[in-house]
Amino acid sequence: MGPRSADAWARVLAALRASPAAFVARAGAEALAAELLSELRSERLSEPTKVSLLAAILEFPTQLWPDPTAAEAAVSALLDTLALLPPRPAALRRPLLLAATSVLASCGALAPASAATSRLLCVLLRAAAGRAAGPEQRAVRATACECLRELESCHPGLLAGQLGLLRALQDTLGTQAHCLLFVLTLRDALGALARAGPGAPAGLHGLLAARTDSPRGGETQACDRSPDSPGAQWPGPWDWSLAGEDVRDPAAPVGREGGRPEPSAGPLDLTPPEARELRAAVSQLLDASYLLTPPAQAQMLQQLSQVLRTVRGQPPALLKPQLVRLLGTARVSLLHAVLASKDAFGEALFTAQDEALLLRRLVGAAQHPALPSPARLFCLHCLLHFPENWPLGPAGEEGTPVLLTPSLATGLLPSLLQDPPDLLARLHLLCLLCGEELGADGRRDCQGTEDQVLLYLQGLLASLRQGAAQPGAPRSSVTLCFRASYLATRCLASHPGALAQLTKGLAELYQARPCLAPHFVDLLEQAGEVLAEPLGKALQQVAVAGAGGAQALQWHLQILTKVAGGQPLGPTLGFLWAALGQGGDWAWEQALLGACRALLRGTDLSGAGPRNLANLLQELARGLDDPDSRDRGRLYYSLFTHLSGSKLGSALGPTRSTPMLGSSLVEENEGFASALTVQEAQAPLQLRRVPQQAKEPPVILGLTVEASEILYSLELRFRVLGPHYEPLEAVQVPCLRPGASPKLLLLPLEPRRPYPTLLDVSVLYATPGGLTCYAQLPSLPIAFADLFLPLPPPSPEVTHPPTFQELWASCLPGGAESCMWGPWQGQALETLVTKHWEPFVMSATPPTSYRVAIRLPPSSQLLLQLEAAGEDGVRVALRTDDWAILPLAGEYLRGLGATL
Amino acid sequence: MAQRAIWLVSHEPGTPHGGTVRFSRRYPTVEKRAKTFNGSSYVPLPEDDPFCKALLFELRLLDDDKDFVESRDGCSRISKASVYGLPIGGKELWPVLALQKNGLIYVSVPLVEQTLSAHPPLISISGISQAFDLLFGLIDFFDSGPRTEADLSTKVSQLPDLLLHICPFGTLLDSNFLLDNFSNLSIYQAPKQPAWKAGTYKGKPQVAVSITEKVKSMQYDKREVADMWQVYGTITCKCDLEGVMPNVTISLNLPTNGSPLQDILVHPCVTSLDSAVLTSSSVDIMDDSAFSGPYKFPFTPPLESFHLCYYTSQVPVPPILGFYQLKEEDSQLKITVHLKLHESVKNCFEYCEAHIPFYNRGPITHLEYKVSFGQVEVLREKSLLIWIIGQKFPKSLEINLSGTVNFNTMGHQKQPVDTICIGGTTYVKLYFRIPDYTLTGCYADQHSVQVFASGKPKITTCRELISSDYYIWNSKAPAPVAYRSLFL
Repeated sequence: MGPRSADAWARVLAALRASPAAFVARAGAEALAAELLSELRSERLSEPTKVSLLAAILEFPTQLWPDPTAAEAAVSALLDTLALLPPRPAALRRPLLLAATSVLASCGALAPASAATSRLLCVLLRAAAGRAAGPEQRAVRATACECLRELESCHPGLLAGQLGLLRALQDTLGTQAHCLLFVLTLRDALGALARAGPGAPAGLHGLLAARTDSPRGGETQACDRSPDSPGAQWPGPWDWSLAGEDVRDPAAPVGREGGRPEPSAGPLDLTPPEARELRAAVSQLLDASYLLTPPAQAQMLQQLSQVLRTVRGQPPALLKPQLVRLLGTARVSLLHAVLASKDAFGEALFTAQDEALLLRRLVGAAQHPALPSPARLFCLHCLLHFPENWPLGPAGEEGTPVLLTPSLATGLLPSLLQDPPDLLARLHLLCLLCGEELGADGRRDCQGTEDQVLLYLQGLLASLRQGAAQPGAPRSSVTLCFRASYLATRCLASHPGALAQLTKGLAELYQARPCLAPHFVDLLEQAGEVLAEPLGKALQQVAVAGAGGAQALQWHLQILTKVAGGQPLGPTLGFLWAALGQGGDWAWEQALLGACRALLRGTDLSGAGPRNLANLLQELARGLDDPDSRDRGRLYYSLFTHLSGSKLGSALGPTRSTPMLGSSLVEENEGFASALTVQEAQAPLQLRRVPQQAKEPPVILGLTVEASEILYSLELRFRVLGPHYEPLEAVQVPCLRPGASPKLLLLPLEPRRPYPTLLDVSVLYATPGGLTCYAQLPSLPIAFADLFLPLPPPSPEVTHPPTFQELWASCLPGGAESCMWGPWQGQALETLVTKHWEPFVMSATPPTSYRVAIRLPPSSQLLLQLEAAGEDGVRVALRTDDWAILPLAGEYLRGLGATL
Repeated sequence: MAQRAIWLVSHEPGTPHGGTVRFSRRYPTVEKRAKTFNGSSYVPLPEDDPFCKALLFELRLLDDDKDFVESRDGCSRISKASVYGLPIGGKELWPVLALQKNGLIYVSVPLVEQTLSAHPPLISISGISQAFDLLFGLIDFFDSGPRTEADLSTKVSQLPDLLLHICPFGTLLDSNFLLDNFSNLSIYQAPKQPAWKAGTYKGKPQVAVSITEKVKSMQYDKREVADMWQVYGTITCKCDLEGVMPNVTISLNLPTNGSPLQDILVHPCVTSLDSAVLTSSSVDIMDDSAFSGPYKFPFTPPLESFHLCYYTSQVPVPPILGFYQLKEEDSQLKITVHLKLHESVKNCFEYCEAHIPFYNRGPITHLEYKVSFGQVEVLREKSLLIWIIGQKFPKSLEINLSGTVNFNTMGHQKQPVDTICIGGTTYVKLYFRIPDYTLTGCYADQHSVQVFASGKPKITTCRELISSDYYIWNSKAPAPVAYRSLFL
């Protein structure tokens, strides 16, 4: 394949982006990767195209180089390309550094033994320490810092040996990139020292002071002379002693709620001079933090908190001046960072008053109309997980902080006009407040507030139900109503009155819209016993009352399947008997059986109930249409009449998976492949045409099916060849037995044009042995005459139905006419008419003259005038309003003549 | 503290897939960390197509919400703070932060540095707030300028380059995507200069301060429910000043009878805040001792226009007091609307309209009305009356509208169902803007801006009051109330 153009590359990259795995599998990872690398040096491609190639390398390195060795070679190749760049500003320099870092870090090539690792680290450190002042150099410097930070993130402790250098750079250059790199390295180095314990190769002082390793030091002049030289190596071996195996949790936990394990090592003990040096470094960073962008400030604050937590006896007061500044901001990330430091240090950083202020700021932000809704919701979430100095509740669970009183939260309570997520979050808060308020026995004095809160909650739920009960209400508002009810159930457990009202309201909702049954089933499953019991009872009553008429039957059956077991038998049985009378399809029968199964597993098997249930099952086993359903009914009947209650419960309960024995595995595997695949077979069944005469469309094709062996679950598939018919639906037959009366199938044909055709028939069925088979049956012809229908009866409004003559005249000029001679003599004409055209005769003078009008769906007609001409035969004049069927009619008539 | 991937999906209702991925960016180095941190609970990132499908389904943006689907509609699956779990290949990808704005869905998946076998609280995920910052930044970027398809495509084509600078490895370096050119990026920061102000301004010094106040209201005209109104404001600044770090202090003033500002949230460039500013909160009961300014904000301005602060306030009266009565009589509706402008409010509007919608009733077939002032426009198909009041209330400051409306209930089915305005529950919504006026009285003038930099800057100030969610509910039927209206 020749080199690709820029456009071709754009297409290749788009395909790679759309589905990397498939594309790489198709194109071959190795070939594509090699091509990408070589094209970077091509002089044909423009810089923007090369940047887009590098972007692909940056994003999909693991797909391109699945193997670390290949990845290492790729990093070397990228560095070689970097070395070949001219010294002038080049747009490729930054993306090359980023791509090389991404490949090295994500493909597992970052390792002590890797030459590419040392090379890249050397290049990056040198670039990060560069002092040239142009914008391009500044950008490359910042990029190098980012690359180093990413390598350090992926391999904490990697840069610990360079801590002194990085601090010096941060001191002198002080850009955001340098600050962030230094803070991360410092955090990881302290974590590594803490883990290493007394056996650490060097203390913090040693690390911070080791500035002589700078690439600008005397030993590294070789590097300096040729900044991007391909062979440049870090002077001396890289210090991997503090570098961990791979990423691990940062030294200090960020969120208590996250259940992060404390670092295995205890806090690090520093000598007083070291501690002073650390404090100085941290203060300096904090002072400069105002100069960072808000996301960078948030990162730095979190990491400095972790630094202080790693070291024993470091007061967090250093952070305080910054927190006051950050507390006033509207940024989610800064607020989050403040909360994280509160979580980390608790009372050591936030006094009780500070805590109260922070909480009020958070409440203010959570209800601030000027903030975007997602930010408000996040603040609300933070309130429910507020890191309190002295938490009362269990850690990790949502709860309202002690200081958050209902009066403080009035602005945070839900209202119907809010968006669903806002409403639910606020409703959750209201429920938590309710639960707390109402649950506390010692607070009877605020009975009034409690009642009001409860009333408000009930009013809100009622409005949501009213919205969901609207016919045609969108599913989102239905879901909202059920989610709100679910949340409310949790706090209403201790309030029987409120719970009863909720239950009543939900039952009314079901009565208004039985089609919400799946939501009710879901709610019953999720909400727990406290609601499930009363609601189940109420729903059963609505269901057996049959609200919503016949259309709601399926929903009622669904509800009864869920709840009937725990309720009295009588009403449910009455309902099922009534439902049985209505009849329905297979799915309906299964739903009915499902409800019966729920009754069988139920508890109320006393009095006359059991006998009635047995009667019902017997009726089901006898009266259902579908043999499968009948079988199931019979099984239930047998189980019910032979097993005791407890055995019945476990027999019909959910199946528990039992471990299989090895031998049974082997046994079952023998037939495994054949049981899974569909077998091609000779059809053990026969189709026969049965004449059917429809009076109006659709034309019905009658077929009988007979089998020569027992077949189950047959699916007969029909395909009309050619484009002139609507597709036919498959026909399901549950079972065929040899010797049984043939099964009659009626296929409605809907021609788009009245042309004869062939019907292709295939069948899929199961054998008694459990195999699934497929067979092709002989095609069935559909003849022209099969489409004949009588003319539609005149509508009552028409006083004079058109006479044959009028019809005859109406065919022209749009249609066509023809004339032919038929070889029928004597009585033959009468016989012919009786046999073939009797339903279509409009007027006749037997035995010599007949007028026949035939309708051909979808919208054509054929008219015949037959006049016997003595012994010579019959003169046939024909007209049609559709010229295209004239040849078909001629052929048909000639066919009749030939059969004589 | 990093993002695993970012997506930009456009929602295209009516198309076969319901939407397309306009942009995606994955971070393989972060993904590698995710694998280690998440352990056995790690769920790999899906490709664009399955992701788009799962996202649109979860957000209910596909047309097929006919059936109940447990993973989407289950009553216990309540997403928190726009964070979703997407079912992908039998597992659940979580946390997926997805924000919707103007037909676009902005998505980020933050790295969780722990196992995910049980969802940890969002507050313990350090990358989550960064994901918010990132997406808010992207929203600002795409919301600026004209919202045409061409503009969208241009911005999408700029994204890869922007992210290469602002978020090269999934860790966000700056959330400001709105840059004149790449030389203003934080990455080009010169030493000892704020990273959020990479360049310097050269030219005539000038400072512009604008105060925009919005007023919300819910009025019921009922004895047992209190009316509610709230004011909130935004101060926007643009400072064109020379020097690396010019210091500016803006003081907002209130007249003697002004309403104190509360819940003040400031831009991160503000260097310090008075404790009185920090503690004035709307949760407190107002009294005369409340801090009433001046509110001083010292800061070093960024180059671009920015929101210096947001505030709320509790003013003693709503600017327009109204009542609305709607009664159903003989298959027609009788409506009466009465509006009164408070005498303290500046009677000089840019526009003032009252929208009177009718829900769940079908198109309007017949209308008879009488107004004491202004004109009425009828949008029959939308079942909406617009009462255009214009630039001024009459001298009496009171105006009325009364009339009868008939509907074609046959056309009812075609209209979307409203689940709040059922029966007589309905409202009048007011839209107005009063230039050069604030309800709190808050103002900034020539003396409010102190600049500690060379040259005397030209100072421009402006202010406005805009209505936002200003509802007057039918007093003859139940109306949705806020808890606050019941108990204050």
